[in-house]
Amino acid sequence: MRKFFPVEDLARDERFNQITMDDRMADQRTAITTDSRPSRAANRIVPSRGDASDAARGLMHGIFVGEIQALEGAGRTCWDFTTGEEAPFELKLDMARQCWDEARHVEISIKLSDWMGSEIGEYAENTVLFQAACSNDPVLRLAGVNRALEGLAIDVFTTMKEFGEVAGDQYLEFAEDWMLADEVTHVKMGSDWLRKITENDPERRKKALDFQSVVDKLFSYGGTRSESQESPIGLARRFRELAGFDDQEIDVIADLSLAALEERKAAVLEAQAAHN
Amino acid sequence: MTVEVTPTTFTYVYFDSAYIARIAQRLIGLFHLENHNIRIDVNETTPLAKMHIEFGDPIVINIQSGAFEDFSRPRQQSEPATTQSLGRILLKVRDRLSPEFANAPAYEDLTLVQVAIWETYCVARLSRHDIDINRQRWLYNFRNRHGFNDASDRAFEKIWSSNDLTWEQLQNISDTAIALVQ
Repeated sequence: MRKFFPVEDLARDERFNQITMDDRMADQRTAITTDSRPSRAANRIVPSRGDASDAARGLMHGIFVGEIQALEGAGRTCWDFTTGEEAPFELKLDMARQCWDEARHVEISIKLSDWMGSEIGEYAENTVLFQAACSNDPVLRLAGVNRALEGLAIDVFTTMKEFGEVAGDQYLEFAEDWMLADEVTHVKMGSDWLRKITENDPERRKKALDFQSVVDKLFSYGGTRSESQESPIGLARRFRELAGFDDQEIDVIADLSLAALEERKAAVLEAQAAHN
Repeated sequence: MTVEVTPTTFTYVYFDSAYIARIAQRLIGLFHLENHNIRIDVNETTPLAKMHIEFGDPIVINIQSGAFEDFSRPRQQSEPATTQSLGRILLKVRDRLSPEFANAPAYEDLTLVQVAIWETYCVARLSRHDIDINRQRWLYNFRNRHGFNDASDRAFEKIWSSNDLTWEQLQNISDTAIALVQ
């Protein structure tokens, strides 16, 4: 079986349309407003938002395709590296367990999408998640996928769980809560293995953490996730702590996300000035 | 009757103003709004999908680009989305012009619950004009505003199967559903 599978070759049927981060960055439109009044600037996905159910449906589809790619990424890590020499057997066992979880999450996401009135492929699939899982170093994959990607999943699931709780949608609330518990475990696996494997290799650890920072910045693109109410997705500090992030690490992500939001707002102002 | 679409050329999205106008003309005929001049202003700087109406001559419909977009192909126009969005807003225009909706609150005074009942009433009627509507999407939207319970679902069914409701009747169905679970 082929090793190191390129993102372009991921198997999808005709319902799916894949886009890259470049495609997303080429879209100059933004939901972020330069109006600083709290009632106008808030973008957080909460039931009190006018387009709440459509925004939640879009995010749910994003979760669905993210789960497929997380499954594919963890599966590749089980196969792409030789057992013992390149990746310990126990690490592969953790990745296999993660595959089991992600497959279940895919099924849960399909059922939740049905429940919310979405169709498979209704929204574009951004393949950036799987791209983070294409590194030829398993430690970088753990940093990029388990810590950055699954860290974002913690933020997303927390936002959706709270949405369900406030709206009174118990199916959404409980399903997101169960998936959130798995994601916390996945992030913890990444944090534990990263520390263990790079215990005597500070250079490799630094490289992995740098890679995680790059992936975190990509996922924060446009201010999608931050502690500001202007971002659709919040930063779930408590669950990140449970997953093994220390306060300093969470502060770094918070600052990075806020910087991405401010960067986007500046770009919006610039584009509006050019348009007018 | 005239139908104008602005801008005529799009820069942020790959939309076609003539195509939008053709879809609008078909719907205007379907809803017997031929006696009115209509201008459709598309705000292409945001991917959101809000719409609102300004009554005058012409009647101006402000629409954000997400309302016409194919979400699986960002920035591309979707014929079904354009039809559904224009259909919803044009039915609201027709409602607003009728005496049965004389007591409907002004756009800016509508609550989220009132927006949900009116949207449901619009898409239900659209579905009977052979326009493809995802009923579950609108049921979910309705439940988000009325609660996830049987009373809410019964109210949705009542609105979904109705054709000649007044604003007061719509409001009453909604109020009853909410009161039953309080």
